[in-house]
Amino acid sequence: MSSFHMPARDRFRHEALLYAGWAEFVAGTVPFIRDGVRAGEPVLVVESADKIQMLRVALGDDAGAVLFADMADVGANPARIIPAWHDFVSRHGTGRRLRGIGEPIWKGRSADELIECQRHESLLNVAFGHGQPWWLLCPYDTEMLDELVIDEARRSHEFVTERSQVSSSEIFRGIEGSGAPFDVPLPERGTALEQLEFGPGDLATVRAMVLRGARSAGIEARAAELVTALNEIATNSIRHGGGNGTLRVWQEDSTLVCEVRDKGQFDKPLVDRERPAPTASAPRGLWLANQLCDLVQIRTLPDGTVVRLHMRRRPQQHLRVVPDTVGNPPAIN
Amino acid sequence: MGVADLLWNYWAAGGANIDERLESALGGGIVYADRHLVVTRTEEPDGLYFAGEIDVTNSHAVAESLGNASMGDADVHLDLSGLSFCDISGIRSLVDAAESRPTGRLMLHGLPVLLQTVMNVTGWSDLPNLRICNCEAGR
Repeated sequence: MSSFHMPARDRFRHEALLYAGWAEFVAGTVPFIRDGVRAGEPVLVVESADKIQMLRVALGDDAGAVLFADMADVGANPARIIPAWHDFVSRHGTGRRLRGIGEPIWKGRSADELIECQRHESLLNVAFGHGQPWWLLCPYDTEMLDELVIDEARRSHEFVTERSQVSSSEIFRGIEGSGAPFDVPLPERGTALEQLEFGPGDLATVRAMVLRGARSAGIEARAAELVTALNEIATNSIRHGGGNGTLRVWQEDSTLVCEVRDKGQFDKPLVDRERPAPTASAPRGLWLANQLCDLVQIRTLPDGTVVRLHMRRRPQQHLRVVPDTVGNPPAIN
Repeated sequence: MGVADLLWNYWAAGGANIDERLESALGGGIVYADRHLVVTRTEEPDGLYFAGEIDVTNSHAVAESLGNASMGDADVHLDLSGLSFCDISGIRSLVDAAESRPTGRLMLHGLPVLLQTVMNVTGWSDLPNLRICNCEAGR
């Protein structure tokens, strides 16, 4: 009956857990974790702080053998989640199977964060689909999330469990399909505060413009990080994107956005989330942007590439509510 | 008149006629200069002082300055406290310079905090010939 006693698998297993309410969440995750712990498999759970608290209680003594990480920290920028799983698999997975739980999508995600989380879910197949065997379970809250989000989960996960029944997803897009260029156009929002066509001699001007944008958005404390990240994107345009590009800077309700368009093409789906090799010549710009910025959006279009860097204008409100009592956890919102 | 203003005058004059005040403000011989960056020789400790900005258009300045200053085989101290910006290509040029030295390390002083972060997250924090010093040996 339980989905957790399926025959062992010899490759990466990416499974969505569709749950409605806390009881279904616990029923879907606790046996999965417990089976892993009792089989001697390393288990990492990346969840919100309140769910971690609840799982610790539900697991009792078994919780001591489980690694926990707060998704609000690890996955604030969803492009940092795959490197975290890579670290887990490479540190703990030598000759062993592993298990993970990761819930990157919750109701409070902004529209831009949501779509990058969905991209992340697909890219997990590319990152691990041809590697060593491990089992990643991704809970989706069907009460809080839009039906379209659940549909997309069926495309990005090979297996789906709902109401304790596991099945192969008929609309899974496959490993190769998961790495297809991301060409979903980015919405045009607002009016640019400033726009600049830049070439090889204009990097200092580019940096000055981003600095002005950061000041006017009230995020001067993070201006240096944004300038450093954007400078690398503009440098890519100059060196690999046809020698020039267009920079636009604008404010949205909650973020400052800096966008670079050029004639280049990114042809490696994981280009921005693979830890740089130690060799001096290895590329580092997009990786760095993901470490410094709150969100990085990359789109490959027929006529070139668009990269947007987002910095939040106010600190993120994270899901850090700890339940008052174990039996009565708060609703997620 | 601050160093930045003096540098601006120097750049505005196309790099010619180094102002005596600039020379003394920088405290040593200029071994490299362009519109965004001036590198001067320091004596105690033996090394170079960087002031301005380094990006892909002038990151060659690191190797060039070390060459122009004809440094010996001992440790070389680079005071980076005057850098208002340094990109990945600039860090890469420091790494390359350190790795290409047959003996002696590159000791980095006054490294801005963000640069230290950048070196950590890009995997350049643990190199045998490149040391980040938080000591008082630099200026």
